Amino acid sequence: MNMIPQRSTPKAYFRNMINGITSMFEGMSITLASCFFRAQTVQFPDVDVSSHEALIEDYKGNLRGIPDNYRGILDVDMATCTACLICMRACPIDCIVITNVKCDKETFLGASGKKAVKTRAATRFDIDMGKCMFCGLCSIPCPTGAIFHTKEFDATPDSLEGLIHRYVTPEEAEAAEKRAAEIAEEDKIAKAAKAAAKEKEEAEKAAKESAEAPKEADEPKTSEES
Amino acid sequence: MGKQLRTELMTINMGPQHPSTHGVIRFIIKTDGEIVHECEPDVGYLHRSIEKIGEQMTWQGFVPFTDRVDYLAAMNANWAFCLGVEQMIGTEVPRRAEFLRVMVGELNRISSHLIAIGATAMDLGGFTPFIQLLREREYINDLLELACGARLTYNYMCIGGVHYDVPQNWNEKVAEFLTHFELAMEQMNRLISYNRIFINRMAKVGTVTREDAIGYNLVGPNLRGSGVQFDLRRNHPYSVYPELEFDVPYGQGREGEVGDSYDRYYVRLEEIRESIKIIRQCIKMIPEGDVKAKVKNSIKPPVGVFHSKTETPRGETGYLIESDGKTSAYRIKIRTGSFTAMSIIPKIAPGMFIADLIAVIGSLDVVAPELDR
Amino acid sequence: MIIETMTSLGVPELLAKFVFALLVAFLSINFIAVYAGVISVVERRVAAKMQSRVGPNRVGPQGSLQWLADGIKLILKEDLIPDGADRFLFKLAPFLMAAGVTATFAVLPWGPSNAIAADLNVGVLYLISVTALVVIATLMAAWASNNKWSLLGGMRAAAMIVSYEIPVAMGLLPAIMIAGSLQMSTLADAQGWAPWDWIVFNNPFAMLGFLLFLTGSVAESNRTPFDLTEAESELVAGYATEYSGFRFAVFTLAEFANTWVVGAVSAAIFFGAGHVPPMLAALPGAAVVVFVAKTFFVVLILMWFRWTLPRFRIDQMMDFSWKYMLPLALVAFFGQAIYFLGTWDQPGIQIVVSHVMVLAFLGVFFLFINRVAINVKHQGVVVNSPQTEIAYLEKIGKIKPAVVEDAAESEEEK
Repeated sequence: MNMIPQRSTPKAYFRNMINGITSMFEGMSITLASCFFRAQTVQFPDVDVSSHEALIEDYKGNLRGIPDNYRGILDVDMATCTACLICMRACPIDCIVITNVKCDKETFLGASGKKAVKTRAATRFDIDMGKCMFCGLCSIPCPTGAIFHTKEFDATPDSLEGLIHRYVTPEEAEAAEKRAAEIAEEDKIAKAAKAAAKEKEEAEKAAKESAEAPKEADEPKTSEES
Repeated sequence: MGKQLRTELMTINMGPQHPSTHGVIRFIIKTDGEIVHECEPDVGYLHRSIEKIGEQMTWQGFVPFTDRVDYLAAMNANWAFCLGVEQMIGTEVPRRAEFLRVMVGELNRISSHLIAIGATAMDLGGFTPFIQLLREREYINDLLELACGARLTYNYMCIGGVHYDVPQNWNEKVAEFLTHFELAMEQMNRLISYNRIFINRMAKVGTVTREDAIGYNLVGPNLRGSGVQFDLRRNHPYSVYPELEFDVPYGQGREGEVGDSYDRYYVRLEEIRESIKIIRQCIKMIPEGDVKAKVKNSIKPPVGVFHSKTETPRGETGYLIESDGKTSAYRIKIRTGSFTAMSIIPKIAPGMFIADLIAVIGSLDVVAPELDR
Repeated sequence: MIIETMTSLGVPELLAKFVFALLVAFLSINFIAVYAGVISVVERRVAAKMQSRVGPNRVGPQGSLQWLADGIKLILKEDLIPDGADRFLFKLAPFLMAAGVTATFAVLPWGPSNAIAADLNVGVLYLISVTALVVIATLMAAWASNNKWSLLGGMRAAAMIVSYEIPVAMGLLPAIMIAGSLQMSTLADAQGWAPWDWIVFNNPFAMLGFLLFLTGSVAESNRTPFDLTEAESELVAGYATEYSGFRFAVFTLAEFANTWVVGAVSAAIFFGAGHVPPMLAALPGAAVVVFVAKTFFVVLILMWFRWTLPRFRIDQMMDFSWKYMLPLALVAFFGQAIYFLGTWDQPGIQIVVSHVMVLAFLGVFFLFINRVAINVKHQGVVVNSPQTEIAYLEKIGKIKPAVVEDAAESEEEK
């Protein structure tokens, strides 16, 4: 195309030359200066990066280890999980699947110090870590802090199936379902008993029969609450 | 003219797998030996249909996807979207959250510019500055990791503030980093930016005139490199930027022509200095308090079309959000700086060397995921 | 010497020469293979050091056997010849390149000035002409690959090597004028052990000649800032794009061997070859150690260039050769001639000038050390220090340790 050579003045010519030499001089002094500093590379499997304190034992650079709030592989504390489905709804890519059934009412303190009431038990709590993008949207709204990010990041499974983390074993699920069926049964009985009690109250029967009714009405209360 | 050898142009495919195209971008170049006669960018190799995904996600659920729009400046990409939704539902962001947003945003801007500068240097053969700048970027990543627990796709900003408060020693850590970084950055400038070979490679190459820059809708440092003093943080201020003092650097033709590659490069350098200034002010001004406004779990914004824009490292990033009052957007359109930056290449490419083309791509700071979304 | 022993034993002279040549060739090639391997590891480690990295450190102690692993890997790789390639030229090119570099080893000294395989009376001329063989190999590889990037690299190589031959040759002229010979041994003998006896510090023009020779040699051995022929960010890998396996290894070998050639020639012609101080002269092998040390010093400088400077553009590189280096080479040549005419019968002035040159060099060196010290100070500003950890801040009372805050923190974490 238009490659007209540019004519340079003698001043520009010598300025170019001197500037070139001095800037090269300066650049080489910088690269030499860099030789006096330690490598910043964290040689990962050789050093423990799990926390900053652990890292600086073997590593002499300036980088930090994993902080406490690191968003790594998800973990679920089933003891505090109320199977409320909030995390499942919050997850943008639907990698959490939960199914739940009713269970015995339980009140405890969640990780955040708030009081939590458990009325439902999970029969299935699967997280597909292959899909998870570690955004943290599930752990933020969790009312009890049951689902949280660990500092684990190195969890390569042997198989694709291994990417799906299951937190409820089939036995537990079966037990929960059984219990749920029992609760439903008790519910039914209680309801029937209640209805019967009502009828009886309406009919204003003798106090001998009504003495048994409140004893069994303990259970149905939970189901009504939920 | 006399007798001439009959020659024909050689068509070369540069990319999608080429070391200097920063990801997967393809250029179809017609050259006469080393000299480019025609250059046609071919985009779309990294298209992940993020805009379409946005129509299926809840409003909060789309925020982590905005990280992926521009992974080098994920904080700033979050910001634009969150700002849009906050405007739609009329949420007031707590003051501390605003300052935190500015701080992480500016830190992220620095880290993104470090990559831009380093990659340009690497494309021109200077490998050491690239690695050294990456080292500085790792320190920034450490700071951002302290704040939010992730190093690349942060998902730190949420609708109504930021997700987590920073640790107590964060301000001290940032201040210490800035003291270190200011000197380190000046040193890197002496190593590469003021090097005569480097300047000769960048100066008077790929000049974009003021008119062209406006006409082709360049944004951000590319626009300012052409001498237009326009910065959304100054001209359409959002967040707490009106309270902060900073200059808007623009191309002044330091090495010959206004709007050449070196000007664009130098604007980025100066923006790093301005960002340092901004963060220093933020450290002094940041108040205590909440970091997150109360926002309902299922947001249902009013029906309508909203547009939000912020100044990201690659220029103005705009989100055009159309809402039909449901829990997810009806339509989201993302407007990014890299895309328009690519459109100027066919205009400025003819007549330059292949090596110049690489310098120009570097100085335009094109990032493939932002280009294709 | 070997030839003489053999002829005295009754072997015909021609055969003796042939055997000797074979022996030298065998030794050179093996030396190149080992040297290239070792220096590739050294270069990577040096580069890593300059870049706050670690570099190869897994194979062998501190990665010292990395080159063996690399070599084995390259040999085991599939030998790909692209479709449409000129198969004969494609196969020939790497070996021609290696031959061009190996041929220079015939005239390289190895310490004592008589330890030269073939002490030609046109040694320097031979060296310059044989290195130009590399350009043919590069062009051959570029053309035969049937790849446009390769072709561009080859064109660049041709343009570059042809234009840099001139300043390199002219840069050597002042030294040749001082020694009055093209023979390597005479050039080496024209110098002494002390820096002020070296040709490089003989006078300013010889120094200029050396700088031109060094710069031009960097260009001829295709290293940054003149690595346009294989500019990895522009031309993928230039002329070697389509090569793989052993053929690629041979290219790399030739490239690294080139650094030795540059170093050895600089050491022999400018840095006093293998002359040792008189008090150390009795030590066996001292000359070789001194010579090799000088060579490695130059090789390290080449590495240093490579990892500091960005790359030229093709037209700027030609500009640099024709507009800057050629005039300077002429200045060096005529300056040396005039200086020689003026002082050839006044050894006193020569001695003064050479001592002043050494002092001036020391001055520049201390200036440089000063800059290095400043840069070390700048780079040494701490980041992420323990002084900003929460525990320390609590100790100095900058933040108050409170139980409530701990609870708040754990809340954020979850």
